[in-house]
Amino acid sequence: MEILIYGTVNSFKLILIAFGFTLVYGVSRLPNFAHGAIFVFTGFVAWIMMHKLNLPFIPAALLSLVSAALVGVLIYQVILKRIRGMNMNEIIATYAIGVAMIETFRWLGFKGTTFTLPVLFEGMVFIGDVPVDYQRLMVVAVGLVMLVAVWVFTKFTKTGLALRGIAQDERAAMMLGIDSDMTATLAMALGSAMSGLAALMLFPLGSIVVEAGYNTLIFALAVCMVGGIGSWGGTVLAAFVLGFLQVITVSYLATHFQMVVTLGAIIATLIIKPSGFFGKHKELEERV
Amino acid sequence: MLVAEGLMVFYENMLALNNISIKCGENQIIGVFGANSAGKSTLMYTLSGIILDQMKKEKMRGGEQITVMGEISLFDQDISSLKPHLRARRGIVLCPERRRLFPESSVLENLKIGAYMATKKEAKETLDYVLEIFSPLKKLLHRSAGFLSGGEQQMAAIGRALMAQPKLLLLDEPLLGLSPAYQQVVMESVKRIREMKKISIIITEQFARPVIPIVDYAYIMENGSRVMSGSGQELLDNPDVKAAYFGV
Repeated sequence: MEILIYGTVNSFKLILIAFGFTLVYGVSRLPNFAHGAIFVFTGFVAWIMMHKLNLPFIPAALLSLVSAALVGVLIYQVILKRIRGMNMNEIIATYAIGVAMIETFRWLGFKGTTFTLPVLFEGMVFIGDVPVDYQRLMVVAVGLVMLVAVWVFTKFTKTGLALRGIAQDERAAMMLGIDSDMTATLAMALGSAMSGLAALMLFPLGSIVVEAGYNTLIFALAVCMVGGIGSWGGTVLAAFVLGFLQVITVSYLATHFQMVVTLGAIIATLIIKPSGFFGKHKELEERV
Repeated sequence: MLVAEGLMVFYENMLALNNISIKCGENQIIGVFGANSAGKSTLMYTLSGIILDQMKKEKMRGGEQITVMGEISLFDQDISSLKPHLRARRGIVLCPERRRLFPESSVLENLKIGAYMATKKEAKETLDYVLEIFSPLKKLLHRSAGFLSGGEQQMAAIGRALMAQPKLLLLDEPLLGLSPAYQQVVMESVKRIREMKKISIIITEQFARPVIPIVDYAYIMENGSRVMSGSGQELLDNPDVKAAYFGV
């Protein structure tokens, strides 16, 4: 029972962390390795707004989400736009930006465990005989709302449909008047905001530490690779598989094996089915 | 409405289009015929601007160098350097070779994505219209586009292009791989589209026979050059053309 509940919570945690990454890659084939840095960035921005500018939590959270989206837009407009299509360069550039962001925070003195975000609702409930605090239930709820929101957005709005079009065949979408730069910018903004949302939901469970930036990136990558990079359904499925694996590892082995299992899953995926659960290797474009 | 003058396209130093000039008047259907590798698709990519995107990506990757020269104007405005999505906004919509539907989306969703530039009202009207001329699609609306047969895919692809409210519709090899029965259906519908929507259409095809009855004017291309042009009847009467492109 405990494994079931905490496994579910942990799975939604991974969904929150990974979905933004997979969205950006799925739509625009951009691997955003600054994903983890944006996660930490949002946490610190929210903290600064609350403690230096004395804003209440909700406006601080909203503002930090907006700034996360802005960082995403900036990364695309200033850098990625110029190197788009060269995967290795995209990875190196975004990873470098990520490291720079994280290490800047460390350099500015944001280290240790003194930085915390408040939970939205205090208290806990018992499900069966397992105690679960409200914040963890919120993680599940927000994760579900996010998935439903993305589904509605991409099914029923014009812009969302444009994203689906670009994701499946960029040039065919261009022929219909869809601007690839616009959709990529939008995807980066949304993906970064999702990473920020994950931060706002997850940091209250512990404290804001810079190292979380690296761990988050690795978790996001693991989920995306196991699920098939860019596949939205695969991401959700992989989040559940890894989510439960991690919880089982923690309860039967030890906490620090969590990362080993996660990385092991990447390696196992690469050996058994390199494209992941639902991944597809796009065929090379034929010559005209 | 569309005037293209002196189009030259090089892939590295291979000449793909050699000084091609092509004109399309309002409400006309123009045919472009030629064998494989004659440059038909390159011409379509050049008119729709996709070639600029190819050029940009190849350059970034340090791959082959694509050079494009010549002038294209639409309604007397120069569009030679406009990006593909901006050309689409001005009314040039390409229905590409091998259809390139969005395979994971349903037919309905493909049509909806096509309606990106349309207003709600236009989208609804065009959807009704598309389902009227391509009535077999009605039953397939919720099927994913990757699982359709070639003919059904072609109908969906033309439908999707129509949803984008084209003023000039470019059809690149719409009959490729279709049975003669479906070829007939597609050609009939192209004729109806021209009559009802009052738009211009440029069709490329390898095999001219099914297309020639509906074109106002046609060009024949070989190795990137224009070898002949004339009205449908003129081409039909020419013995060389007959032997090479009509299979008589």
